[in-house]
Amino acid sequence: MRLGRHGFGDDEALMMAIVNRTPDSFFDKGATWAEDAAFERVAEVVAQGAEIVDIGGIKAAPGAEISAAEEKDRVVDFVARVRATYPGLVISVDTWRAEVGAAVCAAGADVLNDAWGGADPELVDVAAEYGAAIICTHTGGVTPRTRPYRIEYDRPGGVVAAAIADTVAYAERALDAGVARESIVIDPAHDFGKNTFHSLEVTRRLGEMVETGWPVLVSLSNKDFVGETLGLDVGERLIGTLAATSVCALAGARIYRVHQVVETRQTVDMVWSIAGRRAPLRAIRGIQ
Amino acid sequence: MTTPPVALVPGVPALLPAYASLEDPVAPLRAACLAAVGGLGPRVRVRSSGPSGARVAAALVEAVGAVVVEDGATGVLVVGNGSAKRTEKAPGDFDPRAEEFDAGLRSSFAGVDAALAAELWADTACLGELPPLADAEVTYDDAPFGVQYWVARWQ
Repeated sequence: MRLGRHGFGDDEALMMAIVNRTPDSFFDKGATWAEDAAFERVAEVVAQGAEIVDIGGIKAAPGAEISAAEEKDRVVDFVARVRATYPGLVISVDTWRAEVGAAVCAAGADVLNDAWGGADPELVDVAAEYGAAIICTHTGGVTPRTRPYRIEYDRPGGVVAAAIADTVAYAERALDAGVARESIVIDPAHDFGKNTFHSLEVTRRLGEMVETGWPVLVSLSNKDFVGETLGLDVGERLIGTLAATSVCALAGARIYRVHQVVETRQTVDMVWSIAGRRAPLRAIRGIQ
Repeated sequence: MTTPPVALVPGVPALLPAYASLEDPVAPLRAACLAAVGGLGPRVRVRSSGPSGARVAAALVEAVGAVVVEDGATGVLVVGNGSAKRTEKAPGDFDPRAEEFDAGLRSSFAGVDAALAAELWADTACLGELPPLADAEVTYDDAPFGVQYWVARWQ
């Protein structure tokens, strides 16, 4: 797998730490809205071992409209600052706009994380032009920044078949546009265009997405499907998140988009070793 | 005709590829074992006992690019070790007799008390005919996990 400037082996699981340059994202509620606070967040997750930061300038949920100019104001210079300070870090930017994608790639971004499933068809051309990787997500065709409402997946295979069909089609579109095969990642996008039952099913059947052969990213962190399943508010969803993370890790998901790097890394390392993809760190008990 | 070289290594399963960790818990021991086995030439006869001795020997021989043979050996690899009761965290728990038992082996492998060796979880069945360690080049002599290991080579 190649993410912009950085290459990774097929047996590696990667932590993508969320860094919000927003005043209103659901989990941190603006804690890293100030640029210096966001920069401190980057330093923290780098120290925790995250390979990737995912910088976002617009919250996913509905809210005040943010123009492309405003979005660029929030992320472009910040990307350049992170690039200059951390040359070994993979920088992803969470955007659906090609205009913003081009600006952040020019500033040093490695990955365009299109959480809205190809809403702007020119984003793949930008990724190709800059040699960036692209995350192809499934949203069920919803408009960016809208909530799912009475969406059903009635065709055979249900939500998983739809997620596979749409993300693989998106991946092939990226390939046709000139994005390198090893720089394309698919993401079922839990809670995007999905109710809780859909997100649980996508988790349960994640192995079907892995079987497509495209590397799979999962974004589970503290989401509403965890909250609704356990009856817990945003700040209380870590254990549920890690349970879902375990299931996705066993299935073979490669990238984990997270708020809590340390906890997720431990969870994924443990599952990766159970799956036989990672040796124990240091085992001597019984074999002295 | 000269006598083929003889090496002694412990039958430590952590040396097996199947039990590899990201951080090698027996790195110095492994290095000593590979160096000793590497000096036995291309055809190695193995003398081992215990559940893992033959596997460990085969893995070490393979790792240095040699083969295990019955006849026509260029060197002999003996697998064995002292007690496994040297400390409270040792596999067999602490036994106050263990240190003296191992000291006895260090002086001479001849005339080992087999019953005591079994009580102390020592793997000594193949050690009896070895010359004393005093005549060997001893490259490892330690009990890092409460098990007494020696790596040695006699020419």
